[in-house]
Amino acid sequence: MQGVLAAFAEIDSAVEAIQELRKKSFGDITVFTPTPRHEFEEVMEHPPSKVRRFTLAGGLLGVTFGYWIAIWISDYWPIVVGGKPVASWVPYTIIGFELMVLFGSLSTVFGMFALSRIPRLTLTVGYDPRFSHGDYGVWVVAGPDRAAEATAVLQRHGALEVRNER
Amino acid sequence: MATLAHPRRDDDRELRSNIPTASNRLPGIRDYEQVDRDVIATLRPSLGWFAALGVAILCLIIGAATWTYQIHEGLGAAGYHPPVMWGVYIVTFVFWVGIGHAGTLISAILYLFRAGFRTTIYRAAEAMTVFAVMTAGLFPILHLGRPWKFFWLIPYPNWRLIWPNPKSPLVWDVFAILTYLTVSATFFYVGLIPDIAVLRDQETNPVRKRMFSVLSLGWRNSDREWRHFTRAYLFLAAFATPLVLSVHSVVSFDFAMALTPGWHATIFPPYFVAGAIFSGIGMVFTICIPLRKFFKLEHIITINDIDAAAKLCLFTSMVVGLAYLTEFQVAWMSGNAVEQEYFWNRVFGQWWWAAWIMLICNMVLPLSLFSQKLRRNTTWLFILSIFINLGMWFERFVIVIPSLSHEFEPWQWGTYAPTWVDYSILLGSFGWFFMWFLLFIRQLPVMAISEVKEIIPPKRRVHEDHSHDLDALVIDPGATMGDD
Repeated sequence: MQGVLAAFAEIDSAVEAIQELRKKSFGDITVFTPTPRHEFEEVMEHPPSKVRRFTLAGGLLGVTFGYWIAIWISDYWPIVVGGKPVASWVPYTIIGFELMVLFGSLSTVFGMFALSRIPRLTLTVGYDPRFSHGDYGVWVVAGPDRAAEATAVLQRHGALEVRNER
Repeated sequence: MATLAHPRRDDDRELRSNIPTASNRLPGIRDYEQVDRDVIATLRPSLGWFAALGVAILCLIIGAATWTYQIHEGLGAAGYHPPVMWGVYIVTFVFWVGIGHAGTLISAILYLFRAGFRTTIYRAAEAMTVFAVMTAGLFPILHLGRPWKFFWLIPYPNWRLIWPNPKSPLVWDVFAILTYLTVSATFFYVGLIPDIAVLRDQETNPVRKRMFSVLSLGWRNSDREWRHFTRAYLFLAAFATPLVLSVHSVVSFDFAMALTPGWHATIFPPYFVAGAIFSGIGMVFTICIPLRKFFKLEHIITINDIDAAAKLCLFTSMVVGLAYLTEFQVAWMSGNAVEQEYFWNRVFGQWWWAAWIMLICNMVLPLSLFSQKLRRNTTWLFILSIFINLGMWFERFVIVIPSLSHEFEPWQWGTYAPTWVDYSILLGSFGWFFMWFLLFIRQLPVMAISEVKEIIPPKRRVHEDHSHDLDALVIDPGATMGDD
């Protein structure tokens, strides 16, 4: 992948640079920021994260499994006390609830990993250690024909450093 | 008495690092780079740290050696005599599970409520949670005659074709505690990923850099990662919130489901949950106040954050106090002679001293936190936190021992005296907990770097005018500067 990477010290400079790049139809832009900022969410206009689907699926699976395992155990190894029902849903709600939380949480984390594409073995192009420290990074995918244009935009908005990467 | 302060210029703020404004909660921090520097500085080993770790490991060795002795001699070595078959181990189990509650309260519940004061203390509290639950999990195993069979409580296909009874509170405990341990450890690790990436990028030692690279999973701080991370973190917090409430409710069912005087009460779940949060906040003070002093982090864990946590401590203390008094009222109104006798026995009987330690430490001393001066006095808060830890251990002692030693019939009455085995294992549990905590604070950031950065105003080319924030601020300069 070929593109241009810029580092900014100020958040508003980075936001304005992204706005202009988007206006100029640079489609594939990645922002690196030491901490999540609403300014970038607004300018990037990404759709809501799909992590919630993993959460829902995991939670439903967990609660179903929790009730099922408790009822199945009771039926398989019945302990009859005073003619009461062998399987009783009230105490089994505890097991259903706990497994809903367990499966829901783990599938949320799995979803986050899958959607964020982590774990990754290398940091790939377009990353600089300063982006976890204090600076903001903007990575724009641009072929040789548009790299100069992207560089000009990023420099105009006050980038500390702009470099071509591949 | 609060007075309206004169508006200050920006330059004055660095002199008063404990005075936040609407636009800047941590005026002692100038930029993101300083957060990295100050937090990473806590990772340097020092003589004090080695000494503390040595003491913790020594306590752990004493506990482990005693456990070996107990396995050889049998549980009788631990001072159990019928009818008191639950003693210090179950008391300490409930104590550590309780300690483990404040971390998730601070990291999850206060996150959902957007309580700003959690930001600087939640990482330490979360670590405390994970290690406290790891400690608590040892006690049911220690309490087994054949501890190597503990996994029989987990439902798994086995050649014996037998399964645990899912109607038993002890089986609910297994599900609740294991879920809590897994979810709180997951929550803790997920929150750590961006901070480990900071360590990875700053580290110069190749071995440690490699270790941090693996642990940070290749995190790059990209907008894609943050978008999914923040959403996942929110859902984890939403799951962890009812989980916190459920876990100690389930622990309380161990008692409330039994037909024993003093135990069989519907008040137990909320009573236990409030007590757990109260004891956990006590331990947060015990840990965070020395941490803040030792690492010189007063400008990050500000006195305002400590003050807010102290208010939460006061509130939970009053909830716990109300529960204590309600128990007496319910016994009095019940018309049940056994229940009434039990509660009379609780405060004036054989274990009167334990009950009074509980009442004074948990109900009376925390009332001092109504005073703003004491809430902002870290020395007093530290002393109070020790009393709270002591009082909450005795609360569980008062719940477990007097009930078992004074059941319905006179032939069920007995006594109980912990032996040196109980005390050594109790000491060992503190060693185990603090060993993990001390190892943690030297390897990983004790403060959430990325979340602290969130509350720092970012650098901007165009400066925003926040002078109106100062106009609206009501401050008592004397009180805010009254910190250590």
